[in-house]
Amino acid sequence: MTSRLLAAVHLCHFIAAIAATVSDPQWFDTARLPTLIAALVAIVIVIYTTYHGSTRDKFTVRRIAGLEAVEEAIGRATEMARPLLYTPGWGGDIQRPTTIASMNILSQVAAKTAQYDCRLVYPTHDPVIMAVAQEVVKSSYLHAGYPDRYRPDDIAYVTSSQFGYAAAVDGMITRLKPASIFLLGTFEAESLILAETGNSVGAIQIAGTDSTIQLAFFIVACDYTLIGEELFAASGYLSGDRSILASVRAQDIMKVIIGLFLIVAGVLATIGALYGMALSGWWGF
Amino acid sequence: MDRKIALVACFAFGVVMFAQYFSAHPVAHQVNQAVLEYWQIIFAFALVLGVVGFCQTNVTQVRKGHDRPYRMAALAGFVAMPLLATFWGIKAGSPFLWMFENVQAPMQSTVFALLAFFVASASFRGFRARSVPATILLASALLILLSRTWIPGSMSNWLPDAADWIRNNPSMAARRAILIGIGLGSLTTSLRVIVGIERTWLGGGK
Amino acid sequence: MRLQTRHWVFASLFVLIAVVMASGIRLSVPVSPETQRMYDFIDSLPAGAVVLLSFDHEASSLPEIQPITRALLRHCFEHDLRPVGLALLAEGTAIGYRLMQTTAREYGKEYGIDYAYLGFKPQYVAAILSMGESISATFPQDYLGRPYDSLALLHGVENYDDVAAVLSIADGSFTTHWMEYGGRYGVPVIAGVTAAMVTTYDPYLASGQMQAMVGGLRGAAEYEKLLGRKGGGGARGMLAQSAAHLYVILLIILGNVAYFIKRRRSA
Repeated sequence: MTSRLLAAVHLCHFIAAIAATVSDPQWFDTARLPTLIAALVAIVIVIYTTYHGSTRDKFTVRRIAGLEAVEEAIGRATEMARPLLYTPGWGGDIQRPTTIASMNILSQVAAKTAQYDCRLVYPTHDPVIMAVAQEVVKSSYLHAGYPDRYRPDDIAYVTSSQFGYAAAVDGMITRLKPASIFLLGTFEAESLILAETGNSVGAIQIAGTDSTIQLAFFIVACDYTLIGEELFAASGYLSGDRSILASVRAQDIMKVIIGLFLIVAGVLATIGALYGMALSGWWGF
Repeated sequence: MDRKIALVACFAFGVVMFAQYFSAHPVAHQVNQAVLEYWQIIFAFALVLGVVGFCQTNVTQVRKGHDRPYRMAALAGFVAMPLLATFWGIKAGSPFLWMFENVQAPMQSTVFALLAFFVASASFRGFRARSVPATILLASALLILLSRTWIPGSMSNWLPDAADWIRNNPSMAARRAILIGIGLGSLTTSLRVIVGIERTWLGGGK
Repeated sequence: MRLQTRHWVFASLFVLIAVVMASGIRLSVPVSPETQRMYDFIDSLPAGAVVLLSFDHEASSLPEIQPITRALLRHCFEHDLRPVGLALLAEGTAIGYRLMQTTAREYGKEYGIDYAYLGFKPQYVAAILSMGESISATFPQDYLGRPYDSLALLHGVENYDDVAAVLSIADGSFTTHWMEYGGRYGVPVIAGVTAAMVTTYDPYLASGQMQAMVGGLRGAAEYEKLLGRKGGGGARGMLAQSAAHLYVILLIILGNVAYFIKRRRSA
């Protein structure tokens, strides 16, 4: 009995200490409270969609032309006995979500190239991306049942310089004449150089990036382009991985919330402007 | 076991860095500073990985006879530049800086300049009035191109305003929508990495 | 080798630009609101204020970036601001130091008192965040190997709170990182970028996350006009740029004419 009382007292002290800590302006920056709330809402939505069984199982992704063409692109490379070139672009590091999304797609593509014995060439500008890509492709080849078809030399670090990288990849495209090129990741100004060179050798090109400007170049120069979050949905689409599809569902829910927020803010700002009322400052965080 | 340690470390650092963002306490700032310093040290080791990988790949390919001239040129530069920097330094007037300004910079500018030619050929091929939306796109593109050009006379008054309207309204709205989508995709991917659902960065597998 | 249409396109564009550049004609351009905004922003900073100048570009974009950088640096020195340079891309390091040194010489500015250069720091995200806590911890020495505390103009400059603005000279998306990570500390961000990146940053300019921006050769030419100076390289490239734009417009029209003729024949 005494020990339980003591435990209860200690617990109360602990809770009081936490409360005092959180309410202390030094420990918690109250100016960032709106950001914390938004972050917590996002976390709850992602966890809910990931672990809530019925929500996860019912969700499907609409048809995306660029992703339907992945199988076709790999098949084309196999039939023409030409390699498939996959590049994650120059602009991203491994910690960038776009690069991680690209790695997910790479694992799916590698599994297919392993099955069809199609050569997969992967030049990269970052040594860490090279190391991760080597593991991803090796693992895909192993799971596909063809570990002997894995070629580590085809996944190589080229250079960290942007146009050195563009020149090197252009050289590879011109000499190897790949039948299919995947441009999936973060690209900067080298995007059109790579895409046009790929076009000149007659390759089918599937592109996707998080840069709005380079997207415009890809739309003009490539056969298929993944716009915006289609890149993040791609690996779930190809593999059917429920956790990735759950994230896509979470994104949709958050977009609806943002959309409603925009409508409410727009209406309030309009009313405020028409009647001279201060209704438009509350979302300024 | 290795993967479990990596996942636990990822989760721990993710939570700590998330929490410190919302704190103004000096301890939080110290934690932030320390982690950032670790990050830069790890990055330095990653460069070593790149150097070793570059050498191994190119030497192997030269031995096999694949793309020999290009790979030998790459290896020559790879050896020469550090030697020049080590023996003569990297300040103004040094051979290293001469090579950078007179060899590397012009080569890079040349490749960048290719973009102008490729834009011309892509525009010739891509801007076709195949449908109503394509025609609207074509008209907008022509308007904006003209607005960035020096044209004498009265057109120079309304052209920039029209181009700015297209840039600041329909184009901006589309870009913002794509940015929101990409931002949400980045958010969910990052959360999956921290929580351990996403394990691609560990090198594939579950 | 059989010449294709695109080879003729490339060759004629090359000839056109070569002829126009050789003519040496300089164009005077009207000043746009964006460039005026940058000029007014720098003018509004108090004399003696420290401005961080981040050279976030590679050597490839030098022909476009150099006129912008020179114009902005000249304005900083004319307004008695104290620019402190650094680079988040290795290639920008030597370029940035040389540009600051040569421009400072024009105004008789002294290193360590009127301007300084901290050098290159890898891992740009960590570097930007780290400077928010302590610039001296991030750069214990400057580019020339002198201790941070030994530079007179850096006395009392601990972090972004002591800096009037960050000027990102970029040919890619590094300016976004400055806004995303530097914005956490509330430091105003302004930028000089290549023309290709201008539309990328338009949303940030409109929302106020970026205070001002100058873009491309045209922006450099406009800024040179505001400063009343010539010879920066901006105005010289404007005729070639305009000629290239008109050529691309002609190509688009010709392409569509060919498309409609082909469509009519097949119909």
